Amino acid sequence: MLDTVRQFETPEGVFLRLRAAGALPRAQAWSIDLAIRAAVFWGSMIPLAFLGAGGMGIGALVMFVLTWFYPVVCEVYFHGQTLGKRAMGLRVVNADGTPITWMPSVVRNLLRAVDMLPGVYGVGLVSTLIDPYARRLGDIIAGTMVIHTSELPSGSQVPVLAAHRPPLDLATDEQAVIVDFAERCAQLTPQRQQELSNLLDPLTGQTGEAGTRQLVAYANWLIGRP
Amino acid sequence: MELERISVALRPRTPREAVDLGAVILRAHAWPVWSAWLVFTLPVAVLCVALGLLLNLPWLGVLLIWWFKPMFDRVPLYVLSHAVFDHVPNWRETLRGQWQWRWRGTLASLTWRRLDTHRGLRLPLELLEGLPPAQRSARWRVLCRTISGQANMLIFGCLQLEIVLFVSLFLFGVLFVPGEFWPDSWGAYAHEAIRTVPTTVTLLISSAVYLAISAMEPLYVAASFTLYLTRRTQLEAWDIDLAFRRIRQRLQSVGRTLLWLLVCGGLLCHSHVAAADAADKTEHIRVERVFDPSSPAAGTTSDSSASHGPSGEPAEPAVAKGDAKFAEAAAQAYNDPRFGGSRTEKTWVLRHPPKPQETISPPGRFMFGNLFASGLNVLLWALLAVAVGALLVFALKYVRKHPFKPGASVSPVLAQVHEVVLTQALPDDLAAATRSMWQSGQRREALALLYRGSMDRLATALNISLPLDATEADCLRRARTLDDTQRSQRVVAIVRTWQHAAYANRFPSDSDIDALLTGWPAQAIEPKAVQV
Repeated sequence: MLDTVRQFETPEGVFLRLRAAGALPRAQAWSIDLAIRAAVFWGSMIPLAFLGAGGMGIGALVMFVLTWFYPVVCEVYFHGQTLGKRAMGLRVVNADGTPITWMPSVVRNLLRAVDMLPGVYGVGLVSTLIDPYARRLGDIIAGTMVIHTSELPSGSQVPVLAAHRPPLDLATDEQAVIVDFAERCAQLTPQRQQELSNLLDPLTGQTGEAGTRQLVAYANWLIGRP
Repeated sequence: MELERISVALRPRTPREAVDLGAVILRAHAWPVWSAWLVFTLPVAVLCVALGLLLNLPWLGVLLIWWFKPMFDRVPLYVLSHAVFDHVPNWRETLRGQWQWRWRGTLASLTWRRLDTHRGLRLPLELLEGLPPAQRSARWRVLCRTISGQANMLIFGCLQLEIVLFVSLFLFGVLFVPGEFWPDSWGAYAHEAIRTVPTTVTLLISSAVYLAISAMEPLYVAASFTLYLTRRTQLEAWDIDLAFRRIRQRLQSVGRTLLWLLVCGGLLCHSHVAAADAADKTEHIRVERVFDPSSPAAGTTSDSSASHGPSGEPAEPAVAKGDAKFAEAAAQAYNDPRFGGSRTEKTWVLRHPPKPQETISPPGRFMFGNLFASGLNVLLWALLAVAVGALLVFALKYVRKHPFKPGASVSPVLAQVHEVVLTQALPDDLAAATRSMWQSGQRREALALLYRGSMDRLATALNISLPLDATEADCLRRARTLDDTQRSQRVVAIVRTWQHAAYANRFPSDSDIDALLTGWPAQAIEPKAVQV
């Protein structure tokens, strides 16, 4: 099964799913960061221009800090998110899903010098297109990856019906999918709801609207409603 | 469509993640996609560039390649749409398949819809679904509702990445041009080159553009296709469909007899439960008014949720009763020792516990205590202020008493000596003058006089003039050039004695002075010579 998810199992049996972010959202986040940094730089150059050569020197220092320290400081102190990444719902984490620390952040940002070759991030782009988790060279060497953090689209609450115990013992994933159906059926057309519930007529013993209602009743029982 | 054969993990995704899934699918089927792509597009690209060269319009080839992108899009879509359902076509099948697909939509997007930003999303709708036009526009509206913005972002992002790839290739090529072949001004060169480009440069730039488009266009098609798949998964709950089919399969594989038994059992159980609360069963059913609990009738909520059953009757008491039942059950569960409950623990306690009244103090005492504490607080701050003030006063006084002057550390005694020494003229009888000063207590002055006189005589003896800034070391060096070793030793002794007196304030004894004052240079005539 093809997916963008990198999955880890903790010793407690909990599955951590990291949803890897690809080249496009990352390029957009970087563009936002570039715009912010350019705005800050020009804003600071307006007063500095009156200071002559000294002002130019301070401007060069501002440029240096914005280029090399802005991403590191943002990643370490703002949960792995620069402003652009925050806007795009992205986050940098270590490859095992733990929050990023100083060393990996410094390494991955210093290696931008390589990814930037030959001037417009061509190497980084090719690397993100080839790597299965869309990591650029800096990410691979620092042991980090960029993931999506935005909430997944979810359905509404399960509609309240009198709870019914399913006639059979269902496996955990089967129980989950029945609850999922009940949560998302508000997004489906009535015809589609009935098509889906007709698939489970061996379980419900009913078809059509009655079958749908029966499945929602099972979901009510499964989530512990009376 | 056989959904069971899909090779993509179906789950709810944000549109941005859907775009990333496109890159994953493309990577998994890279070879079939790009082999078919090359076979289909390379001849077209070569023809375009050749046409441009023939007409002597070098930019035409690049423009035509870009213009034909909607036609090229069909190839990756054909491969990916089949590969997703577990059948990967090779390039022959792909090319053959192009003739089975309709060309009307492609012609539209090659002409009056060329600048449409939703091209990639329209592609599966036209080529894969093949609905009649009337239904298609309605379907298009539903499909586009939530992902239109993302489709725009996608096409501009891909264009941006395409430009990045092209510029990278261009800069990479420029790296291999030796510095002396670089034009003086790239701007002027570009201005000139746009009119008269050498054929090699045209070919190189066209191939760079073709490479960049070849890398990014399949990605754009794949990302659009996964965006479409994700939207349909959301609209039609494909993931739930798949899971339901699996459950159904499992139930059916149990076997007909067993299944019938189970269904009968389920129905029995069902009817048993139903009989228990048949009286108010219909009242249990209602549409949950999640977003607007005060809405008068549930019939105003969304049409799809209305299908869950009759609604509109006030079912609150039934639910409240149910909640009470649930709370009872929960309380029962908590009585289980594994989930808490109550247990008995035995500990020792004092038979006569200390009386709590003693710890309770009247509020007045608290007030007094607070007052005292704040008073103490103020006092401490005042003490700190006094200490800081005293320090300041002390510092001011100290500065006034010892004003800072550069060079004030030089001893005034020495300065006095120098004044005296410099104003004195050298006496004729150096030994007698020195001795008289020594005996009168002016020891430093005496030694200074002796030193000055000795140097004067040394200069006379050597027939040289000592410079004004001559140091003791210079004098010593001169003294060593004297022929008479006794004389030179004596001069050295005088210099050393003077140095000890001047710099370390150490004075020789009277007998040492006598030894220094005998003979040259203190006395003009050697005692030896007198004896002789």
